[in-house]
Amino acid sequence: MDIFRLSFKNLKRRKIRTILTMLGVIIGVIALVVLVGIGTGMTSYMKQETDSMMGDIIIVNSTEGGPPMASTVSNAFLSQNAVSQIENMSQLYNISVEDDFISQINGTSMYIMGTTTWSQLEFNGTPGVVITKNLVDQFGYKIGSNITIGNESMTITGISNTNSNMYLVMMDISKALPLNNYQASYVTADTRSNPETVKDDVQNSVNGTSAYTQSDEANQINSVMNVITLVVGAIASIALLVGVISIVNIMLVNVTERTREIGVLKAIGFTDREILSSVLLEAGLVGFIGSTVGVVIAVILLLIGLTVFSQQVGNINLLSMVPFWLIAGVIGGSTILSILAGLYPAWHASRLNVVEALRNE
Amino acid sequence: MNKTVLNFQNVWKTYRMGDEIVNALAGVNLTLEKGSFTSMMGPSGSGKSTLLHVGGILDMPTQGTLLMNGKDTSKLSRKKQAKFRRKEIGFVFQRFNLLNQLTVMENIMLPSLDSENNKAEELLERIRLEKKHDKKPNQLSGGEQQRVCIARALINNPSLILADEPTGELDTRNAEVIMNLLKDLNENDGVTILIATHNQLAADFTDKILEMQDGKIQ
Ligand SMILES: Nc1ncnc2c1ncn2[C@@H]1O[C@H](COP(=O)(O)OP(=O)(O)O)[C@@H](O)[C@H]1O
Ligand SMILES: [Mg+2]
Repeated sequence: MDIFRLSFKNLKRRKIRTILTMLGVIIGVIALVVLVGIGTGMTSYMKQETDSMMGDIIIVNSTEGGPPMASTVSNAFLSQNAVSQIENMSQLYNISVEDDFISQINGTSMYIMGTTTWSQLEFNGTPGVVITKNLVDQFGYKIGSNITIGNESMTITGISNTNSNMYLVMMDISKALPLNNYQASYVTADTRSNPETVKDDVQNSVNGTSAYTQSDEANQINSVMNVITLVVGAIASIALLVGVISIVNIMLVNVTERTREIGVLKAIGFTDREILSSVLLEAGLVGFIGSTVGVVIAVILLLIGLTVFSQQVGNINLLSMVPFWLIAGVIGGSTILSILAGLYPAWHASRLNVVEALRNE
Repeated sequence: MNKTVLNFQNVWKTYRMGDEIVNALAGVNLTLEKGSFTSMMGPSGSGKSTLLHVGGILDMPTQGTLLMNGKDTSKLSRKKQAKFRRKEIGFVFQRFNLLNQLTVMENIMLPSLDSENNKAEELLERIRLEKKHDKKPNQLSGGEQQRVCIARALINNPSLILADEPTGELDTRNAEVIMNLLKDLNENDGVTILIATHNQLAADFTDKILEMQDGKIQ
């Protein structure tokens, strides 16, 4: 019989001990895959969103320091003058002005979104003034009722079903601009020539503006998300590492407990190297099985998450969250680390003196 | 015409316990011919186990030469020693030392160099445990376990069987079964056997009885 079949049998021998050891690896792997999965999923989701939302370039107030990120409210605006200068540039077409700002309605803070791209939004009713459902619930508005923002009274034309934790009013940009002293958050546009040269043109000819192309935007998202994913991944890796380190401990206990058995194996002719390999295999199996189970559970959790939050996350797909490199890396990495964790116990076992091991009670 | 299987030439094994020096073997000369059946008797601590360990290349002599099938065993690397043990020597222990996570069949096959289990089936019949094929050792009686241990020792057709107190944990009836089995293997299969024992009854089954005292054969 092959000594390596013994490694499998040994795992089954102390089931509770083996399962508890694997649990350390499983929990670490779940944390790592779920968190990194959310990170990579969010990155690709945000890229998709910006690609579909923005034109070739996006122009903001130069004090912004970067292209606007989804769901952040800017407080540096483009002046009315800057906006009209941009609108008059011949290199630009499909110009759309967006204006997102906070306003007060009857003492309650509201997020006002001035837009022209109604086709991107989902709601019941017609474009014009669209409010989120939480406003309906809170204040009893309905389509056709009047809402007063600043000094302006407007008629509500639609209700959006998006779950938002803040009060949100979407309106035509022409209605929004006067409420914000004709300042805009950003302008997106397509360019008639290379976006990179047009970008420079805009920055040079319109004072106080910064322009970003799609690739700037993608880089920005990438660098921010990479940092987040890295930090979160590093924290989750610590959990995994703790799980793996416990393998050193358990394998040492196993080997000590089996001192006599190892003596017998040597007496009937197994070589030091075979003993060493069988212990390494046992440790590696704990890592491999543990990480595989962990990946499966993590994928199931992510699937459940995607189903529960399908409204918010839209058409994000699982493969972009848990790419092949992540699965291979986590299972491969855990297995290799576990084998390394088995090295000292395995070396200890292989060096046992046969006669002393046989005398061991 | 008799070939020598094992040859001790002035073999010493010295243990140091603090200031005290113990000569577990003190100049042993011993020749085992092929097909011989020998027992070693002697009080506890006289060096019987040590002699078997050295003879089975589980331990190296402090001094002297051990020839196995004419080969000087001290020249072998640790790896070669292990391979040699697996192929040429079968060990039978007082406390059986079967692996409880394996079945009877798997225990017998454990050291096998041949993945076919015909030989194991044959041995299982020989020890009359065909029906216990898939049992675990802890489901067997002491006598049955010792028979499995003998089958395991025989799986690779070794030149030599070394048995350290093979009946030490058995009652008289089971001890006789084991000794009859060893005698049968020696007489009908020509297996060379050396046992250490306290038990005169067991020793009486063998062809030659050696007396050990203070690390020397009398
Ligand atoms: N590892 C060891 N360290 C020190 N002394 C030992 C060791 N092994 C055996 N001895 C000593 O060697 C002597 C012979 O022991 P052993 O071969 O076990 O005798 P037996 O099997 O005849 O009872 C004893 O005095 C024992 O205490
Ligand atoms: Mg002894």
